[in-house]
Amino acid sequence: MGEIRIEGLTKVYSGNVTALDRLDLTINDGEFFALLGPSGCGKTTLLRTIAGLEVATSGRIHIGERDVTKMSPGDRDVAMVFQDYALFPHMTVSDNIAYPLRIRKVDQASRAQTAARVGAGLGLNGLLERRPGELSGGQQQRVALARAMACEPSAFLFDEPLSNLDARLRLEARTFLKGLQHQLGVTTVFVTHDQAEALAMADRIAVMEAGRLRQLGTPAEIFHRPIDTFVANFIGSAPMTMLDADLVRGRLYVAGTTIEQEVAVRWSGPDPSDGPVVLGIRPEYVRVGAFGPMTVQATIRIVENLGATVLLTAETASGDRLQALVPDGTQPAVGAQVELSPVAERVLLYDEEGHLMTPATQAAPAPA
Amino acid sequence: MSPQAFLRRVGFVLFLAVVTAFWALPMLWLVTAPFDAHPGLTVRWPEWTLDNFRRLSESPYAFSSLRNSVLLAGGAMILVTVFGALAAYALSRVHVPGRGAILYGMLLLSSIVTGTAAMVPIFQLMFTLGLIDDRTGVILVLTGGLLPAAIFVLKDFMDATPRSYEESARVFGASPTQVLRHVVLPIARPGLATIAVWALVNAWGDFLTAYILLRDPTKTPAGVVMYTFYSEGGQANLPLISAFSVLYALPVVVLYIFVSRRYGFRFHGGIKS
Repeated sequence: MGEIRIEGLTKVYSGNVTALDRLDLTINDGEFFALLGPSGCGKTTLLRTIAGLEVATSGRIHIGERDVTKMSPGDRDVAMVFQDYALFPHMTVSDNIAYPLRIRKVDQASRAQTAARVGAGLGLNGLLERRPGELSGGQQQRVALARAMACEPSAFLFDEPLSNLDARLRLEARTFLKGLQHQLGVTTVFVTHDQAEALAMADRIAVMEAGRLRQLGTPAEIFHRPIDTFVANFIGSAPMTMLDADLVRGRLYVAGTTIEQEVAVRWSGPDPSDGPVVLGIRPEYVRVGAFGPMTVQATIRIVENLGATVLLTAETASGDRLQALVPDGTQPAVGAQVELSPVAERVLLYDEEGHLMTPATQAAPAPA
Repeated sequence: MSPQAFLRRVGFVLFLAVVTAFWALPMLWLVTAPFDAHPGLTVRWPEWTLDNFRRLSESPYAFSSLRNSVLLAGGAMILVTVFGALAAYALSRVHVPGRGAILYGMLLLSSIVTGTAAMVPIFQLMFTLGLIDDRTGVILVLTGGLLPAAIFVLKDFMDATPRSYEESARVFGASPTQVLRHVVLPIARPGLATIAVWALVNAWGDFLTAYILLRDPTKTPAGVVMYTFYSEGGQANLPLISAFSVLYALPVVVLYIFVSRRYGFRFHGGIKS
């Protein structure tokens, strides 16, 4: 069916720019899969190479049982929705939706029928005779989706599907897209630079950087156990707080406090060697008040109201900055002396190179 | 309104009136003189008659020359539009090193190619090709002169068409010709209409190329025949010239109105990208 298997995929542009670097990736049949990363990380190139709009320098791409590496875009049985939707401005909505069928030489009458049926499924009835220029952004997006659905492909490819919508519509479209994908059950790959979008919509996420895969996993895995400091910084609405710490004979010296390493991080294997480490704590898992052994004294510097929650930025006596996300109404005032307590099970340790040291058993994503 | 402002206003209106009269007088002459029994070089209320047109119809080449003009200008228009569109599309989409230099170079040279300066070499070229006294030769020379500017203008229209339109069609399986037919050309249609009209008007008004390359009077276009309505002493035969001028001008005006109505010089709105 619609499994997409990528082996050793490399794409080098003229001028020796390596956009994709020996990438291996398997996207399961029916999966909603996100390619996430900062701009220039190669995620769009990967999507376009799957679509056949870019030719791979080396490596192979399989869709289902077929090796499509050398196939032209039209033979790959994929449908792509572009960032600007790429609706043809001189055609009506109906003609736009039925365009893939026109290429397949389906007759005019059944084309109109299919366009009406698919369009109705996406709430486009009554708009079929309009031109794309007369539609709102959300409607245009649904026309683009309808056109992709009309050709019943084995995979959908979405390039930044939500980035052209305004903020409010974006949330609506997010829910709508996820529901639609679930209902159709067709393998879908989408590209986004917005981590919240990827976490919310995808079954699995590939975080990319500089043409390589940094981490592959479910949204929960990526959120709770970023494999390195790059992913940790990239994921999360409020960035993870990173504190320099020293590990000396089973003790962590961090932010002017000493913590028994046993308390913070339980190791299943041999103990790590002593040396500088980085302590990662998500603001979501820092509480105000003294709870347990990881309590830090700090002064509140900035209070940002986010609606239901409040983001606190505090400074410890050693000059380290620590952020905490607390429910609205419980926040201390600016300048207040408080005790902040990270949830011990959620604390992650990274080594000097930024690789995750905390073993997998430590921070299993159990409901906190 | 202060006196100064009033005077300025009066001066401005007077200026506009003079400018308008300057452009309107030849037009008025063109619509009155042909119907005047004794047309002169002044604009006046005519002594109405159609006699000038009757005398024109006695001229052996008057009407055949209009047909020749249609053939030459129509041929040049089709070639310029077709080749211009294809070349502009290619230049817009394929990265050719020094693309800008090529375009500007062509544009610069084209102002010489059909100009008077290049007439001797062009004549020699056509002679070698055996295209003297052949309509094909005239059409080719006219096309060559108009193409660079046409490519230059059309490339802008092609550049304005987002690539994603074409890529979208390709992913749905469209072949390159289908992409061109279904997507690129319809979107560039206002540009194509503009270029077609422009090429036709230019070729229609051509005198020198046809005058030099064609010998057979049955093949000469209207622009050259106009030149024959002079007496041997160089005296202009105004009744014939005025009547012929109006017939010569009409097709272009009609075409312009038709194209403007039918295709419009409009563009369908896109979206932010």
